[in-house]
Amino acid sequence: MRIMDFLSEKNITVELKAKNKKEVIEELTDLLVKNGNVADKKKMVQILMEREELGSTGIGQGIAIPHGKSETVKELAAAFGLSKSGVTFEALDGEPVYIFFLLAAPEGTAGTHLKALARISGLLKDKYFRKKLLAAQSVADVVEVIQEEEKAAH
Amino acid sequence: MHFSIEYLILTVAILLLVSVLTSKASGKFGIPALLLFLAVGMAAGWEGLGGIRFHDPLAAKSIGILALIFIIFSGGLDTRWENVKPIVLRGISLATVGVLVTAILIGWFATVTLHWSWLEGLLLGAIVSSTDAAAVFSVLRSRRIGLKGHLRPLLEFESGSNDPMAVFLTVGLISIMGADDKNLLHLIPSFILDMGLGALLGYLMPKLMLYVINRIKLEYEGLYPVLTIALVLLTYAVTVTVHGNGFLAVYMAGMVLGNSRFLHKKTLKRFHEGLAWLMQIAMFLSLGLMVEPKQLIPYLGVGLLISLFLILIARPASVWLSLPTRFFSNREKGMIAWMGLRGAAPIILATFPMLAGINQANVMFQLVFFIVVTSVLIQGTTFPLVARWLGVDAPMKANNAYPLELDEVEGIDADIVDVLVPYNAEVVGKRIFEIGIPKDCLVVLISKGEGFVIPNGTTVLDGGEVLLVLANKTDLAQLQRIIARQKKSEPQEEEARQRE
Repeated sequence: MRIMDFLSEKNITVELKAKNKKEVIEELTDLLVKNGNVADKKKMVQILMEREELGSTGIGQGIAIPHGKSETVKELAAAFGLSKSGVTFEALDGEPVYIFFLLAAPEGTAGTHLKALARISGLLKDKYFRKKLLAAQSVADVVEVIQEEEKAAH
Repeated sequence: MHFSIEYLILTVAILLLVSVLTSKASGKFGIPALLLFLAVGMAAGWEGLGGIRFHDPLAAKSIGILALIFIIFSGGLDTRWENVKPIVLRGISLATVGVLVTAILIGWFATVTLHWSWLEGLLLGAIVSSTDAAAVFSVLRSRRIGLKGHLRPLLEFESGSNDPMAVFLTVGLISIMGADDKNLLHLIPSFILDMGLGALLGYLMPKLMLYVINRIKLEYEGLYPVLTIALVLLTYAVTVTVHGNGFLAVYMAGMVLGNSRFLHKKTLKRFHEGLAWLMQIAMFLSLGLMVEPKQLIPYLGVGLLISLFLILIARPASVWLSLPTRFFSNREKGMIAWMGLRGAAPIILATFPMLAGINQANVMFQLVFFIVVTSVLIQGTTFPLVARWLGVDAPMKANNAYPLELDEVEGIDADIVDVLVPYNAEVVGKRIFEIGIPKDCLVVLISKGEGFVIPNGTTVLDGGEVLLVLANKTDLAQLQRIIARQKKSEPQEEEARQRE
């Protein structure tokens, strides 16, 4: 499974405006709604926030991977966002978060959902990959960095 | 009674078995399974190989109503509000105005071709006016073809929700035919009462059902299906007692339940799907048994004629009239019109006039038989071609469900949740037994590289891995806290990884 299989270019932004957890989840969900991946924004945001309450997906090193399953999702889709100034996300290490991967999966697809999640968190483990992502100036940059990384990994 | 209970049971067993087996053939040859059930019934019937005599309209009507209750309930249970929401008003229009237009047009055609009275014609029209969810969806499924956009939810919603209207018209017309004052306008106030009370109880009863299912705490899981059967029957009975539309109430109850959370939901949904199938088979088998093919012959011509009129004129007219806006393109409306398959409901409704002693009841029964069979045969088998021709087909989505989801069970509040291991967590590099996993927590899977492993106590955790954990809420929170703890020192990154 490759990230670019479920991450559309349209769902990438390098200029997140959000300042806190709720805002950033809403901003990224907006992208998914606009591009037809998610039907009901309110429901999706609620599911993602519920997952955050179980334990923050801000897993440190400036990274957060909010994720959730809902009937309102058509098929597995991700949104990617970079925040230049950082977002207060209640991350586990208490630091602000700069890199966001939001993952939305339909109900009944626990397997693919989990694989995608593992794939994203696995790739982001690499410090150099994170640095390159942070340095991205445009959507095209982000796509290039991810594609290069996936080529190397395969 | 000249046959023993053992013989009866054997007959039922063989009939069901043969029906289930023939459904496999439907996939191969693209003939809807329902028709095959009908054929099995005919073959077993008086004039067929089996020689079974079954001509009891009262029994057929009773089985029919019972069957329809569970077929409609199951249809509601499977309807996803998410999908239906955008088209709900259009669906209602199709299920009411559309049904009425179909009934009137067929009624008119019957007066012309059969020289029946207007009321008799309308009654025939009302009986065949609703489309059939099972027929529509057995066709969609068996041909492995999807439909674009809002077509599938619309057809799903329409076919599930138009039976109440057809039942109302049929019952209403029969009562008018029996009354001295034969005024069709009497139907209007009773329509409001019928649908209004049906909708009201369809809204209230599922609340009660949810409360009972979630609170009753039964000792045996096997009793839950029995409980829901009772509650569904109660919904129907209460609604009918106050002169509301029982089928509407049951459909709405199914829909509310299907979109709520309750105990044993997956088990109960599966149970009701099975029950609905059994009811379908029972319905079509008994129709097949009741039909006497020799009696059909005189109506061959006119039966086909009415059927063609329904398929080519009445149904399309009802679709275009009840969906006046441009929300659906003409191609899509064409597809909706072609998916007007008739099924169990007309057959059940056809037994109503028999019992009411309407003049043309027997002829009506034969005609309904023709209409259902030809509709399923012609529209059902050509549906993939028509969908492709109209350009509204879409590849069917594969349902790759993983055995990784839990049904809600009373007694434990456990759930399966994914937990991310932070890159710089204290637990990184430790074995599972070392990290102090809470008592009611079980790590089921761990992602390792491209795949997953089933861990044991000595499996070592690494940063960025995803754990699938079975746990109750309290212990999950505790596990999250353990996993979230950060190492004091700077992260020892995975420098080992060679780059270029």
